Amino acid sequence: MREKIIGIDLGTTFSCVAVLEGGSPTVITNSEGERITPSVVAFTETGERLVGRLARRQAITNPTNTISSIKRQMGTDHRVKIHADGKVTEYSPEQISAMILQKLKQDAEAHLGGKVSKAVITVPAYFNDSQRQATKDAGTIAGLEVMRIINEPTAAALAYGLDKRHEQTILVYDLGGGTFDVSILEIGDGVFDVLATDGDTRLGGDDFDQRVMDWLRDEFRKDTGIDLSQDASAMQRLRDAAESAKKELSSRMETTINLPYITADAAGPKHLEKKVTRAKFESMIDDYLQRTISIVDATLREAGKTADTIHQVVLVGGSTRIPKVQELVGQRIPGKINREINPDEVVAAGAAIQGGVLAGEVDEIVLLDVTPLTLSIETLGGVATPLIERNTTIPTEKTKTFTTADDNQPAVEIHVVQGERKMASDNKALGKFQLTGLPPAPRGIPQIDVTFNIDADGILHVTAKDKATEKTSSITIKDSSHLDSNEIERMRKEASEHAEEDRRKAEHAEVRNRADQLTYSAEKAMSDLGGKVDGAKRSEIEDRIRALRAKLDQNASTEELKRGMDDLSKSAQDVVSKAYEQTQGPQPSSDSGGASRGNGSVPEDGGDYIDAEYDKK
Amino acid sequence: MLPEETRQDPMADAAAAQPDGAQVVEVDLRAQLAAKDDEVRSLVDRLKRLQAEFENYRKRILRDLAAAEERTSDREIVAFLPLYDNLARAFSAYARDADVGAFVSGTERIFGQFAQLLDQKGVRRIAAMGEPFDPSLHEALLSIHSQKEKNVILEEFSPGYVRGDRTLQPSTVTVSQGPAQEEKEEQ
Repeated sequence: MREKIIGIDLGTTFSCVAVLEGGSPTVITNSEGERITPSVVAFTETGERLVGRLARRQAITNPTNTISSIKRQMGTDHRVKIHADGKVTEYSPEQISAMILQKLKQDAEAHLGGKVSKAVITVPAYFNDSQRQATKDAGTIAGLEVMRIINEPTAAALAYGLDKRHEQTILVYDLGGGTFDVSILEIGDGVFDVLATDGDTRLGGDDFDQRVMDWLRDEFRKDTGIDLSQDASAMQRLRDAAESAKKELSSRMETTINLPYITADAAGPKHLEKKVTRAKFESMIDDYLQRTISIVDATLREAGKTADTIHQVVLVGGSTRIPKVQELVGQRIPGKINREINPDEVVAAGAAIQGGVLAGEVDEIVLLDVTPLTLSIETLGGVATPLIERNTTIPTEKTKTFTTADDNQPAVEIHVVQGERKMASDNKALGKFQLTGLPPAPRGIPQIDVTFNIDADGILHVTAKDKATEKTSSITIKDSSHLDSNEIERMRKEASEHAEEDRRKAEHAEVRNRADQLTYSAEKAMSDLGGKVDGAKRSEIEDRIRALRAKLDQNASTEELKRGMDDLSKSAQDVVSKAYEQTQGPQPSSDSGGASRGNGSVPEDGGDYIDAEYDKK
Repeated sequence: MLPEETRQDPMADAAAAQPDGAQVVEVDLRAQLAAKDDEVRSLVDRLKRLQAEFENYRKRILRDLAAAEERTSDREIVAFLPLYDNLARAFSAYARDADVGAFVSGTERIFGQFAQLLDQKGVRRIAAMGEPFDPSLHEALLSIHSQKEKNVILEEFSPGYVRGDRTLQPSTVTVSQGPAQEEKEEQ
């Protein structure tokens, strides 16, 4: 196997390393089990070197020999003086950065199980030549051949595959822990051109934590008269609580910061408990966020662009998880916002992709499509039963086994649909065909294998085969995977908008199927074993069968059907279950979701047997 | 293939020199080429299917991993629910009887149950007070001069825990800087 080229995001506060595996970037977990590594280096008394989380934990005991944010010094004559082992040693920023790179290299080697000697390293778009050279030198010192230095915003755009689009203008909004960068890129023929870049090297998520912390401290002083500022332990607890509250408010509208026994006075222990709403948090950091937007405006002006000429926005950095950030950026720039990839990892992922391209790995990978939407067939009650889920990489083949819905059903109709809706009729119809000539058999007995085979060109071949007679019938559907992206988006949106309604419809269909199956089984049981049942019981069961049948015919509600089924099952339990076992075998236990399952067929081979049924047409 | 083109082919020239064998060689080569074409097509198809399968496998693994993580969390949460329930019982008993002694002894039992559970899960408390500071186990919040040796832990603010060889949470501590300069000189 050829040697891997790793991708490294060498950040001011955190660094991240990734590698291309099987054509997709994988973030490498460090030896502490974390996906990002603090960019901190320390030298202990004894000259031992610590990098990352451990260096950070001891910073306060060893402030002069702990170095953070060395990235700010790259390309300068700055020298770090380390007092250790009784002597003073000077290190250049390159050397300190090399120590971080070395740890990332070791973590990558542990992950890949082999030597790593080549890397792509990212730098801010505003880095000048000497800063870039310094970064390259840091790599060399760390024992890495730096195959390429690429811009962080370019890497982020690569991670989203934006290099594969036609000419586009991209704005990268990067709000990290301690720095904020905006870049405007233009892409043409796979080449990125940085039109403008701006930012604030002292603005980031840490400032937001500080605001929450200050607020908590002030509130506590207002409530109790106690100032926590001088209490290191309390301040640490405030900092941790502020950070987790900030994170929680990205997914919730409100959170409670609860710090019992935060301190004590003569009257006894004091507890801190504060509710923070998302709106309150947003107001605390509003000036910072407005500042980022005015920097966006300045960058647009510098690039000679207007907001509506930006095609794509890429969000980078942990702080872009804050909903208000997304909202403000979205209001300012009407273009498409890309934020699906973890914003802490997207730069490293892009660097790994660049590494894969340079290693020739990307050429070896055949570019494969995915099915943009789920491909299903219609089963009993109009339910769409999926065979190939959306986002499945093609070519692929899936087979499921189905059966009939009625006794002596001579044919089944295969109705192929595409989309995420639960009911077939709400999805896009792709084609229909019949498999005829089924030999007479009770419902649930025939086994019909339906195979969906999508080839690399996205052409879908659907085949139905009756296992007993080996009779087959098939259809070929072209362009099942090449849908207009707007149409795909619309169909997905519709599915999520109608999720609840669809779930109800599908449940109704499923309950109908079960009710139908129950009346069928009960009728069969009565005709087979009815003689052994005493008269009163017998007429009770028959009444209830009739009642449930009537409800089915009147298309009664799900609840009413369930009640009818309960009644019938209660009175006919023993009789029916006996008969049911004799005619049908045990209930299949698998899969309660979606389609018309949970009744009918016997998995004979214990294999991939799905007992959805066809509607008789 | 047109005859004009075949003539430019050295093989065809060779065949032309031996008119009898020419047709046979050409037909044979064409058949071989067609067979190779078929082979390449089928290999490429196999490659694509294998790669697609790998991709789908990866997607499934990621899904399974996320699901497994969820289930693991579920199991852990379930293990801790009795503690929560018992605390609720303690509070409702206290609300009923206002018996402080009973409340304290009840809560102590719950605390014991909690400690037992952590112990069963292999969670161990990190030793801190008086120990040498170790950044793999401790996090320094303060560093002060003291009569104690440099780097010795003077105070533990919050306890830390390990499980196996992994630090779940470092203890937060105050670390000694050793005696202040003047004190040293006085000695």
